[in-house]
Amino acid sequence: MSESPQLTYGEIDRTVLDTLRPPTGGYWLVIMVLILGVLLGAACWVYQIFVGIGAGGQNIPVAWGTYLINFVFWVGIAHSGTLISAILYLFRAGWRNPIARAAETMTVFAVSIAGLFPFIHLGRIWIVYYMLPYPNQRYLWPNFQSPLVFDVVAISTYLTVSSLFWYTGLIPDLAAVRDKATGVRKKIFTILSLGWTGKHEQWRHYTRGYLFFAALATPLVVSVHSVVSWDFALSVVPGWHSTIFAPYFVAGAIHSGLAMVLTLMIPLRKIFRYERIVTMKILEAVAKTIIFTGLIVGYAYAVEYFLAWYSHNAVEMEAFRWRALGDYSLEFWIMVVCNSMVPLLFFFKRIRTSIPWLLGISILINVGMWYERFVIIVGSVAHGFIPHAWGLYRPSAIEFGIMLGAFSLFFLLFLLFLKHLPSISMTEMKETLDHGGDHGD
Amino acid sequence: MEGTMATDISVIGLFSDEQKTAAVIEDMSGYPWQIDRVHSPFPSHRIFDALKLKKSPVGWFTLVGGILGFFTGFGLAIYTALEWKLIVWGKPIVAWIPFVIVGFECTILFSVFANVLGLIVLGNLPDYKGLEKYDTRCSADHFGIVVSCEEEEQEQVLEFFKNNGGETRVFE
Repeated sequence: MSESPQLTYGEIDRTVLDTLRPPTGGYWLVIMVLILGVLLGAACWVYQIFVGIGAGGQNIPVAWGTYLINFVFWVGIAHSGTLISAILYLFRAGWRNPIARAAETMTVFAVSIAGLFPFIHLGRIWIVYYMLPYPNQRYLWPNFQSPLVFDVVAISTYLTVSSLFWYTGLIPDLAAVRDKATGVRKKIFTILSLGWTGKHEQWRHYTRGYLFFAALATPLVVSVHSVVSWDFALSVVPGWHSTIFAPYFVAGAIHSGLAMVLTLMIPLRKIFRYERIVTMKILEAVAKTIIFTGLIVGYAYAVEYFLAWYSHNAVEMEAFRWRALGDYSLEFWIMVVCNSMVPLLFFFKRIRTSIPWLLGISILINVGMWYERFVIIVGSVAHGFIPHAWGLYRPSAIEFGIMLGAFSLFFLLFLLFLKHLPSISMTEMKETLDHGGDHGD
Repeated sequence: MEGTMATDISVIGLFSDEQKTAAVIEDMSGYPWQIDRVHSPFPSHRIFDALKLKKSPVGWFTLVGGILGFFTGFGLAIYTALEWKLIVWGKPIVAWIPFVIVGFECTILFSVFANVLGLIVLGNLPDYKGLEKYDTRCSADHFGIVVSCEEEEQEQVLEFFKNNGGETRVFE
C-alpha cells in the first residue's frame, strides 16, 4: 500500500495547516453535544458533593467502584502517548512520527481526566489538599509509605512531565503556524512559540534536551502504572496481592493506549485527509505492536490462574474460580475475549490492513480494557476472604453520568486541540523525509 | 560560531535544500565573513556537522536537577516520617524501600524541570527580538544562512549566495 510520490516539506505544511481552517457546522454540533455531556457529568458530581459519596453505588465490601475503574482506565490510555513519543523515539522508530503528536495530546488529556477521579471518589473534595505535603497546624504529613500517596506523587509527576514534553515538542510547530498566521492569531502564536526561529543554537540545545526528555519519560511511564498497580498489589486482598501486577498493568496500559491511538487516528486520517502522512504501514505497525501487548496481557491472565492454583491457597483459588464462573463472569469473558483473543486477528495481514477491522478491533480492546479494570477492582473485593463479607456492586446512575462526562470531556478537549493546534508534528515529519522518508511508506 | 562583528547589516541566503545549505556553510570557511546563525525548519545534523557544533551542555542542567530531586524526594519522605513517628504495618519509621518511589519520582520531576530550564537559558528563550531579522520561510521549507558583514562587504556576500543558487535578503 505504497502511497507515492514522496511528500515534500511544503506539502506537509499545507496538509497540516489546512486542518486549522475555521471548522464546519458539523464540528460545532459535535462540540455542543460533548459540552452537554460534560455538563451532565459535572451536575452529577455536584449532586454527589451535596448528597454525599453514597450517591454512587459503592458499598461494603465493594468500596472501590467505577471511579477507581475509570481512574485506572484513563491512566492506562495515557501510557501509549509516552510509549510512542519517548520509547519509540529512543529506538528511532520512524513510524512513530506521524502519530506522536496525537498520542502525546491524548496522554495529557487522559492523565488529566484520570486525575479527576480520585477527587470525585474522595467525597469531601474540599479537603483534598490534606494529601499534599505542606507544614500545617495539625503537624500531620502524608504517609509516604502508602501506595495511595505514591499515586499522588507519580500521577502528578506524570501529568507535569507529559505536559512539558508535549509543549516542548510543539514549540517549532507553533512557530510554523505563527509564520503563516495573521492578526490576533499571529500574536497568540508568537507568544506561545516563545519567539522560536529555528536557528542552529536553538536546535542544538533543543535536540539534546528532547533526547533527555525521552530518556526520562521512559522509566517514568513504566513506574507510573507500576505504582498504580501497587494500589492493589500492596494490599492482602485475594486477586490483588500478586507480584505480577506491575508488569501486567504496564502491558495492559500500553495495550489500551495503542488501541485508543487507532480509535482516534483512523477517523482523524479520514477527516483531515492525512492518508499520505498516516499511511497504512503506520496503522499496521500499531496493529503489530497491539499483537505483542495483547499476548503479554493474555499471558498475564493465564499466569494469574497458574499462581492461584500453584499457591494451593483456598481463598485465592476460590477468588479466581468465581471470576470466571461467578456473578461477574460475563465481564470476565468480555475482558478475555476482547483483550487477548480479538487482537490475534491482527496476525492476518488482510485484517490489519483493513480500516473497518482496525477501527472495530481497537474499540473492542478499549471496551475489554475497561472491563479488565472492572474485573480486577470489583471482582476482588466483592469476593474476599470470608463468605459473610461477600457482596455485589452495580454502578448508580450518578456514576454513569460522571463516566459519560469524563468521556465527553476527553473527546471535547481532543476535538478542540485538533482545530487549534497542529495535530501532526510538521517538524518531525520533515525530519523523517530528510532521513529517507522512512515513516512507513 | 556566533558572529562577533560589530555591524548592523545582516544578509540571509535562503536555500531549499538541506545538503546544499551544508555545502555552502562549508564553502564559507574560505571567506572572511562569519556566520551569525543558520535557520532550518527541523534539526539538521548535516548543518550541525558543517558548523562543527559541540554537544549542548543542557545535560548538566538535567543532571543537577536529577541529583537535587533525588535528595529532595528522599529528604521529604524521611523528614515527614520523623516529624510524626507513626509505625505502619511494623515497618521502620524511616522505611527506605517505599521511599524509593518518592525519591525516584522526584528525581525524574526535578530533572525535567532543570532540562526545561536549560533549554530556556541556553536557547535564550523567549527571543521575540530575534523575529526582527528572520525570514518566515525558514519555518516551512527553506534553510537560511545569516551572515553579519560590513556595508562594503554586502555585495560580495550577496554574490556568493546567488552563485550558490540561493535567494537573498538584507536585514538592516
